[in-house]
Amino acid sequence: MTVIAQDPAVRYKGQIVTARIAVPAEDLRVGPMGYRLQLVDYDASRRHFNGQHKLPARYEEEPEAWRRGDAAIVEDYRFHAQNTYALVMRTLSRFEFALGRRIGWSFSTHQLKVAPHGMYDANAFYSPEHEGLVFGYFTGASGTPVYTCLSHDIVVHETTHALIDALRPRYMDPSTPDQAAFHEGLADVVALLSVFSQPEVVVHLLRPRTGKEAILINRKDVLPAALRQSALFGLADQMGSEIESMRGSALRRSASIDPDPALKDTPEFLESHRRGELFVAAIIGGFIDAWSDRILSSGTPNQRHFPLARVAEEGANIADALVTMWIRALDYMPPVHLQFGDALSAALTADLEVRPDDSRYQLRAHMLARFAAFGFAPASRRKDPVGIWDAPPTGLRYDRVRFESMKSDKDEVFRFIWDNRTALELRDGAYTEVLSVRPTVRVGIDGFVVRETVAEYYQVARLTPQELTDVGVKAPAAYLRRLAELEREAREKREAAAKGKAPPSNDGAPDGYDAALDEADEGIVTPLYGGGILIFNEYGQVKYWVHNDVFGSGQFPRLRYLWDEGLILAGRDGTRLRASRLSTLHRLRAIGARRAFAEGW
Amino acid sequence: MPNQPIKVEIRSYQVGFGDCFLLSFIYSARMQRHVLIDFGTTELPSKGTKSPKPSTYMPMVAADIQRVCGGDKGRLTAVVATHRHADHISGFGTDGRTGESGSIIKALRPKLVLQPWTEDPDAAKDATKATRVSNRSRKGFVAGLASMHEVARQIAALAATNPPWMSAAVRKELAFIGQDNIANLSAIENLIAMGEARGARSRYLNYGDSSGLDALLPGVSVRVLGPPDLTQTEMIRKQRDRDPDQFWHLLAGTQHGATGRGLALGLKGRTRAPEERLPIEGRWFRDRLEKMRGQQLLEIVRSLDSQMNNTSVILLFEVFGKKLLFPGDAQLENWSYALEDAPDAAEVRDLLADVDVYKVGHHGSLNATPRTLLWERFKKRKGRQLQTLLSTLPGKHGHTASNTEVPRRTLLERLETESHLLNTNDLSFGATPELCNLLTLTP
Repeated sequence: MTVIAQDPAVRYKGQIVTARIAVPAEDLRVGPMGYRLQLVDYDASRRHFNGQHKLPARYEEEPEAWRRGDAAIVEDYRFHAQNTYALVMRTLSRFEFALGRRIGWSFSTHQLKVAPHGMYDANAFYSPEHEGLVFGYFTGASGTPVYTCLSHDIVVHETTHALIDALRPRYMDPSTPDQAAFHEGLADVVALLSVFSQPEVVVHLLRPRTGKEAILINRKDVLPAALRQSALFGLADQMGSEIESMRGSALRRSASIDPDPALKDTPEFLESHRRGELFVAAIIGGFIDAWSDRILSSGTPNQRHFPLARVAEEGANIADALVTMWIRALDYMPPVHLQFGDALSAALTADLEVRPDDSRYQLRAHMLARFAAFGFAPASRRKDPVGIWDAPPTGLRYDRVRFESMKSDKDEVFRFIWDNRTALELRDGAYTEVLSVRPTVRVGIDGFVVRETVAEYYQVARLTPQELTDVGVKAPAAYLRRLAELEREAREKREAAAKGKAPPSNDGAPDGYDAALDEADEGIVTPLYGGGILIFNEYGQVKYWVHNDVFGSGQFPRLRYLWDEGLILAGRDGTRLRASRLSTLHRLRAIGARRAFAEGW
Repeated sequence: MPNQPIKVEIRSYQVGFGDCFLLSFIYSARMQRHVLIDFGTTELPSKGTKSPKPSTYMPMVAADIQRVCGGDKGRLTAVVATHRHADHISGFGTDGRTGESGSIIKALRPKLVLQPWTEDPDAAKDATKATRVSNRSRKGFVAGLASMHEVARQIAALAATNPPWMSAAVRKELAFIGQDNIANLSAIENLIAMGEARGARSRYLNYGDSSGLDALLPGVSVRVLGPPDLTQTEMIRKQRDRDPDQFWHLLAGTQHGATGRGLALGLKGRTRAPEERLPIEGRWFRDRLEKMRGQQLLEIVRSLDSQMNNTSVILLFEVFGKKLLFPGDAQLENWSYALEDAPDAAEVRDLLADVDVYKVGHHGSLNATPRTLLWERFKKRKGRQLQTLLSTLPGKHGHTASNTEVPRRTLLERLETESHLLNTNDLSFGATPELCNLLTLTP
């Protein structure tokens, strides 16, 4: 299917740069509606249905204007429908290819709803509770409409949010500054690398702007600084300025942040909508380094020019390999309380499993170097190989479970966890649930198949202040004071209500029910989360175990962050977390707002 | 002529959700100078079924200001309109919505009218100070403010039609915030007219400017601590790659006046096919899109509201060794220039640590009194020597459930326990309202 390669502002000889991409074959219903996506072209601002769209059944049936990239496609809603549908499905299939399995959405139904012209707004967002993606449109500075559904990286960005949510639904819970930033950061990375994985886009960016059809590129133009200028800033420059503004100049900012380990602790970069830029800067910086190294090392030492097509192809290949690495990394990340160091170890491990030989691109070395430059070390302390997740604890017992069942049955995996609860540090007092069991099949570069089963479980405990102390979890003093106040208010209210009333009787209550005992167990509770992932190899043995202890020492900094940021709300009915909507996060990012909750009340 | 006041009286007028402060610098029985900081309301308290309307009540406040200033022949030294929200300027209107209040103030012939630089008519024309990287300029910034009004107007009008897809809670909040952000042309025109009257002048202020008040108030120095202008925030942009025109991107395309209409009604005339009936399977998502739209409008209006608050003038008066801080509705983004980014920010923080009187920002909201950068540095909290003035009306802005209520409970607790608080909400209202709290300062 033809899609716009970046956005309508990126043109070559007057034509919009398009790309031909492959999507999973299916017989689409008019809408379009397919097995994973339902496009509903309803405009909530106008309260108007733009109609159902019948997409061409084959590439050859597409209008010529689409394939040429005529300006008219900007106003062709049928093309908008195809562009949106194709990019969502391609991103989904990209994830499925990398992970080696089908991916459901985070909600129970099968089809993601997509509104390509959902409302008048300079915004686009994923809404899990509404099971959909909404793309806004608005009037640009020139007075003409700007459609976010025509921006390649915006569509891929939003789809990536939906896919991260499907794989790690707890990552939208308030937790750590890194977790809050990760959704945005990884969505940006996948979107940007998805653009760069198209050779035609890379050629367009690298081609000297002389108007001539260059076929060679100078050595100095493949050095890292030059590639950053042409590829990254060049892409940012060519984005429609409104689209770039809407994205908070994400690409430009990420490309221009100079590595500095101190940045991650500054108030500016503790804001989640800025922190993700450090994540993006590390990965995109590593991409540029790997690309430059590859070109320079593949030629002769004195080679002054390189074939442009080959440079573009190598860039596209590296971008593609990096996207795969980071998508696969999701399977190796803990289910809750993600830190960037966890993400890095996950990426290194996932890549090593299918690409043990990294000599061609040195991707893992470049990732390590760039993350280190921003002050992020891998969570794993392992030295050989560096940053890879450690081996699991020894002495796990497998004798009471059946491997075949463990490949798909949550209860069987729970049995395994239960039998090994001491070794796997399952905590008494916390409720444990296996969230998913997913078999995966990947093909390594040696052509051999790597089979794994990824099981995800989590623990949750809701503890009173005294119970927090009992299990050794500290909490911020101001938060505990607030809980004490609430408990005092609740107790005074109960006592006031009880005055003048007869003691509660058990008439009509279940035998043995004692209301007073029930009340004594109540208190303002704080939710704590933990959990882990188990990666089983093809023999049913645990290869990796990555986890967060529900009562571990990491809970205190997390509670302190949540309290300081106003993300944990203590109320009479208990404490709850206050999640942000992605639409709000995108808007804050676009306007560069500061929240700095430490300064708030 | 006395060269220093012997007394300062600060009247915090009851205007419900709004601000109105009269600072009277008393030099002698015959020499007084009066500065009015803001005069506006979006909602008056309602006590029982009989509460005066703004058109009845605001002239009463204006008449009292006139009385304090010396009656019919009295004079205001200066009027400060910290920013253009209705709850700060509606009382200056002469179109009848607040009765004759604006005319009464105008008759006091202020010598000086102070507003933020964003109100400068020249800024609307000045295209020469465009920044290097983009088209941002004072002209564009000011045009953006005008567009905000249009956006607010359209959205408030939409909310008033009671659309079926908009929940009652969203409608209520949109109506409240939207009304506050609608242009109050009559008030703006009166402010301009007062500044252009014979013997009077206007000044449009940004951080570090001379306010012009020092020459009119012997023995009083006044420092302008906000808002920063584009040149000042351009410096930050270079240092931190942070965009100073925070709403610029949000309001892309406002030169064409399209945004407000578009937000309310979408882009018309773009139908590509005859309108089809939405298929049955599309209804579920359509209903949810419409609910999301309500939330989207609320997010936008809240953002605009914050941006407008951040144009507030922040003034620090110093008189017989006492410091009086009046920050309008400045929020963190406005404060951060003075407290963190300005070249003399460290000096400013030290200066503000000694504040004696603090007018609580933005009616006690959660993000207008920077906690560590400002509040916790106030030394006079010790022994409750700090005087705080709060002009607010609970239950109108924000929500308790999301910890965004105005005034913010946690801030209010600290104001009550760590300062001597005068809260207009404690004044009685109704048939014979208490018009104001009075704070008197002496050397």
